Amino acid sequence: MSSSGQSHRWIRLIEPACTSCMICARECPSWCISIDSHTEPVEDLPPGARDRTRNVLDRFAIDWSLCMYCGICVEECPYDALEWVDVLTQPGTSSDSLVEEMAQPPEDAGLR
Amino acid sequence: MTDVLPQDWLATVEALRADGFDYFDWLGCVDEIGRRDCFRIVLVVRDLEQGAEPRMLSCSVPRDDPRIETVSGLFAGAGWHEREVAELFGVEFVGGERRRLLLNPGFEGTPLRKDDVLAARTAMNWPGAKEPGEADFSASRRRMVPPGVPEPVVWGDRDPSQPPADPAEIAESAVAGRVRRRRT
Repeated sequence: MSSSGQSHRWIRLIEPACTSCMICARECPSWCISIDSHTEPVEDLPPGARDRTRNVLDRFAIDWSLCMYCGICVEECPYDALEWVDVLTQPGTSSDSLVEEMAQPPEDAGLR
Repeated sequence: MTDVLPQDWLATVEALRADGFDYFDWLGCVDEIGRRDCFRIVLVVRDLEQGAEPRMLSCSVPRDDPRIETVSGLFAGAGWHEREVAELFGVEFVGGERRRLLLNPGFEGTPLRKDDVLAARTAMNWPGAKEPGEADFSASRRRMVPPGVPEPVVWGDRDPSQPPADPAEIAESAVAGRVRRRRT
């Protein structure tokens, strides 16, 4: 079913492509995607341009204890920021440990 | 798919079975609300020896009095499918087994009818309720409601002087939450 033809094993976030638009979280039937973001003013605008802001992703987490691997998020993402990967998700010892944080915290991400 | 009238349902299935389609595959139900005011019962039988195309029968029963004859006398295995449809859609299978199959004995409601509100979802924080650029569930100007929960003006915070919402209006909430595609 997935457009890439890969098996439904793990979903990867391609962080630079994500615009925090919330579409995947809203389309997810099992409510397993959590997104936190904030807005920042865009710098180096041409002189005279009106102020603009952009969304900055702070947190992107998939709760694998809720995910049913339907792939609707992968299909719906308009920026192709989610993709199937042919690797199994990590097992855990509790349902909390199945919440996977996918976005790097800004301090670890280097220059943004 | 062959459409069958409710009064011809049992006879049609019986004739198919006599015709070699003696393997019951499955029976299901579709809530047609928004298109037509009925439930569609679907049944599939196969002929394993000839390997012919499976035959699919469908029968529409009105939503306000959904009843149809049981085929469990012809195919005992259809009994479980019928009991599942009976408790999830509230369809009565006349002459069939009336015991519950999946739901708790105390459960009220018919959860697969599209006008059945997913009330538990109103009490939980929906991850999609946040707007881009938000990090917490702040009280913003307009709350988005998750799929399966109608807008508060339709259900939940409805004007008490108004009559209860139309089932078709509630069923529209089953559509995804991003943009409620309102039918015109």
